[in-house]
Amino acid sequence: MDRINRRRFLRALSAGGAVYALGRTPGTVWAQSTGVSGFADYKALVCVFLAGGNDAWSVVVPSSDAEYAAYAQSRQNLAIAKDSLLAINPTNADGVLYGMHPLMGGLKDLFESGRCAVIANVGPLIEPVTKQQYQAGTVRVPPQLFSHNDQQNQWYTLRGRLQLRTGWAGRVADALAASLGDQQLATGVSLAGNSPWLAGEIATPYIMGESGVNEFTGFGSAGPDLQRRLAFERLISSDYDDVYSRAFADIQRRAVLYAKLVNDSLAAAPAISTPFPAGSLGTQLKTVARMIAVRDRLDMSRQIFFVAAGGFDTHDDQLIDQPGLLSNLSSALAAFHAATVELGVSQSVTTFTQSDFGRTLTSNGDGSDHGWGGLQLVVGDAVLGRTFYGQYPVLQIGSTLDIGGGRMIPKISTHQYAATLARWIGVGDAEMGEIAPNLQNFAPRYLDFLPAA
Amino acid sequence: MTMMLKRRRLALALVSGLLLATSAAHIAKAAPPSRAEAFRFLNQATFGPTSAEIDRLMALGDSSQAYAQWVDEQMLIAPSLELPAVQAKYATVKNVTVLQTTRQDRWFRNAMVAPDQLRQRVAFALSEIMVVSERSVLAKMPFAAADYYDLLARSAFGDFRQLLGDVTLHPAMGVYLNMLGNRRPDPVRNIRPDENYARELMQLFSIGLVQLNPDGTVRTDAAGEALPTYDQPVVEGFAHVFTGWSYSGASTFAMAKRTSTTQIQPMKAYPEQHATGTKQLLTYPGVQLPVIPAGQTASQDLDAALDNIFNHPNVGPFIGRQLIQRLVTSNPSPAYVARVTAVFNNDGQGKRGNLGAVVKAILLDPEARPTGAAISDVTGKTKEPLLRLIQFWRAYEAAARNGMYHLADSDRIFGEGPLLSPTVFNFFRPSYASPGEIEGRNLVAPELQIANEHLNTSVTNYFYTQIFLRNSTKTGLGTTIILIDISDEVAAAGNAGALVALIADKLLGGAISPTLADEARDAALRVAATKPAVRATEALYMIATSPEFAVQR
Repeated sequence: MDRINRRRFLRALSAGGAVYALGRTPGTVWAQSTGVSGFADYKALVCVFLAGGNDAWSVVVPSSDAEYAAYAQSRQNLAIAKDSLLAINPTNADGVLYGMHPLMGGLKDLFESGRCAVIANVGPLIEPVTKQQYQAGTVRVPPQLFSHNDQQNQWYTLRGRLQLRTGWAGRVADALAASLGDQQLATGVSLAGNSPWLAGEIATPYIMGESGVNEFTGFGSAGPDLQRRLAFERLISSDYDDVYSRAFADIQRRAVLYAKLVNDSLAAAPAISTPFPAGSLGTQLKTVARMIAVRDRLDMSRQIFFVAAGGFDTHDDQLIDQPGLLSNLSSALAAFHAATVELGVSQSVTTFTQSDFGRTLTSNGDGSDHGWGGLQLVVGDAVLGRTFYGQYPVLQIGSTLDIGGGRMIPKISTHQYAATLARWIGVGDAEMGEIAPNLQNFAPRYLDFLPAA
Repeated sequence: MTMMLKRRRLALALVSGLLLATSAAHIAKAAPPSRAEAFRFLNQATFGPTSAEIDRLMALGDSSQAYAQWVDEQMLIAPSLELPAVQAKYATVKNVTVLQTTRQDRWFRNAMVAPDQLRQRVAFALSEIMVVSERSVLAKMPFAAADYYDLLARSAFGDFRQLLGDVTLHPAMGVYLNMLGNRRPDPVRNIRPDENYARELMQLFSIGLVQLNPDGTVRTDAAGEALPTYDQPVVEGFAHVFTGWSYSGASTFAMAKRTSTTQIQPMKAYPEQHATGTKQLLTYPGVQLPVIPAGQTASQDLDAALDNIFNHPNVGPFIGRQLIQRLVTSNPSPAYVARVTAVFNNDGQGKRGNLGAVVKAILLDPEARPTGAAISDVTGKTKEPLLRLIQFWRAYEAAARNGMYHLADSDRIFGEGPLLSPTVFNFFRPSYASPGEIEGRNLVAPELQIANEHLNTSVTNYFYTQIFLRNSTKTGLGTTIILIDISDEVAAAGNAGALVALIADKLLGGAISPTLADEARDAALRVAATKPAVRATEALYMIATSPEFAVQR
């Protein structure tokens, strides 16, 4: 989008506040489109971001003697006891046995029943790279490997070394916008604060609280409460002399525009009987389920949700903290999947993880440090599950994938991972370069853990 | 006394030198700061202008020295601390959650009423750069958290090299970023030193990831790509430096433990767990010691490593730019950053890293004190939600009858709280650009990272509750409830125009747009004159929740 178009869009967005004040339906501001939905079905992607860099080498562990021995030698005191692992039986067995973390029973059941796929050794790449190439510096790799916010940003934006500030989910929302003119709410919704992942050139995500939406106090439809609201809306729809006031007013305008709409919709949501685990992640995913339950009220046919769990930066006390992190992740993913079954949308909702980076195989005494490649999980009834996509690496120090300390070179790129998810939700192959700008450097383009749209 | 006078004279000499160097021409005829100018300055240098402080600043005379004199006076005020409050509470209550709340309450109290306002404001800025957070195991260490904040307050105008050392050895940081208890390598078991502190110290607290010019712009290679400041071997080198340290007071590393005393004492080196090999440090033009030789003690290694970081050319622009962003503007010009870098590099007395001189340079810079056409549409910044609240409270002399400022877990409402960041990356990044115009024009607006539909609603609603339900006309509320004093407004409410002018003076330094003034006046006029308190609160709500009050210009 060029500068002028952006301006035009921003003006259209500004007009939204006034539109609401006049009592018209909000939502038309989200897309410059025909107002006709091009999708007959409903689909949603739900990203569970594991903030801090999940140590995925504890999620799925090789359990054959030789592979486990290499793993245990590398991980030392971080190794998960072999006899505690929950055995899994991938359809594409590579001759090695694998097990899941002992506290991830919910996820194991999803995997074994074909509803969960493991993406083995995925991470930010610009093009495929070998250890020799990495060491010689002859192949481009993303800048600032091992830095939290830079690598989070790589996952969010797929920017590689480009100057790209939009997120790939935001670009998916942009690509679908022309077909989503009827949607009353933004395609992207975050329950975990501002996320660059959902920001497109056109698309601006809606950000709600983890358990729902606050309405504005003292705003009503009659008397002083109405007058106060209208005056507030006029002020946030005014023009301002400085960029900061303008940006702040934009946010206030979206807040007012959608608070009542979303809250009224959620109030009409059916009760969900599936129990969710206590805590932030379970709460966020339950709210996502409630939002999905009211999709028709909001005329939503494509949605992309962002939720997050923190605490995965296990430099210290990994053995103490990781069991809780992983069991909570497993039970929250299982509960959310069960809720989609309850709502009859389990074929239409795909949940997947992203995380800053994998972690070092080696221990720093009581934890692990920032690595590169890792495993990610995809859950849903559309998923071609009980399968590993990509090669689970041999977890050996000094292997052809280890660039030092057990930082593993990813063999699958975030571009392929994102493109597979984007294809499923409706982005055409011709537009995929907009979503994943370095996709042409990788084969195959798609990983097939999800079918094409 | 003599010491104080000497220091003051020295500081004054310094400032006048600085000002002469920058804008000598118009200084001679400078008038006293106007009320609006005094308001702007105090918005940057304190937790919010009060009428009394505005009057005092204006009375200091000629603006060529009034601001400097105000800064000098502030720098001489002893730090207001948090630890004594926590320790006093500990005499009767041992519960760590209560002690944590005590610390947070004290932070609000200091922000509200402490006389060392500039110091407190800079300490808060530093706490958002050298982040530790009670949203971690530090929640169990209220003394450490309080003492860490006090360290930042004491060091606000001190020596940056000293601060680096004190932060590094503070148990709060030691626990938060895992240097405390970090052991030498054990190659047989593939165990390497923990890299967390090594990485974040460089990335966040001192030099950043990419090489900077003195004006803060990024240095690039021939292909236009940013030049990194370090690579993985350097991280590993520093990780080895930071081995062997734990709580003080024990005879061995293994026996070191946390107590109410050791959590506020600098960490101690235990030689048996210090890595003794050579260590790769940063390499840059003029570097003194890029590799630490084998066989040094932990303390020798630490000094060499921190000297190596401190003398990196990035520190001035990296820290200077962030302090400018926290105090004055989100998007300083490169020239502004360069002027502050020059002061960081040399305070005029040949000293590097004088934070007092840096703070003064930031506040006295022409770009911080613009007039007329120098005020552009990127001048200023969005206020952090807590600064918006406290500025409002100070303008309205907010107080609870029990004398406390209790707002525990403020991060749940405001998206931020004192030492409550979700991660070491602070509540917001210096480089955050909100989607839309800010991003499109390649600008940044860090504070907007915690402005969104959800948080803006909860903050707006907090103001609603504060203004309508918790003001001086309300009776029968508990002694812990913080009330704003709106008696002036109630008295003025008979004249809506005068009412609006009064509020605008307190909250905006008089700089209110005609649109906002009209809306606030109309809001007041919708209420009968017989209900002056309702009139006052309706007008106050309009202004306090407006985009104009959300921004510091």
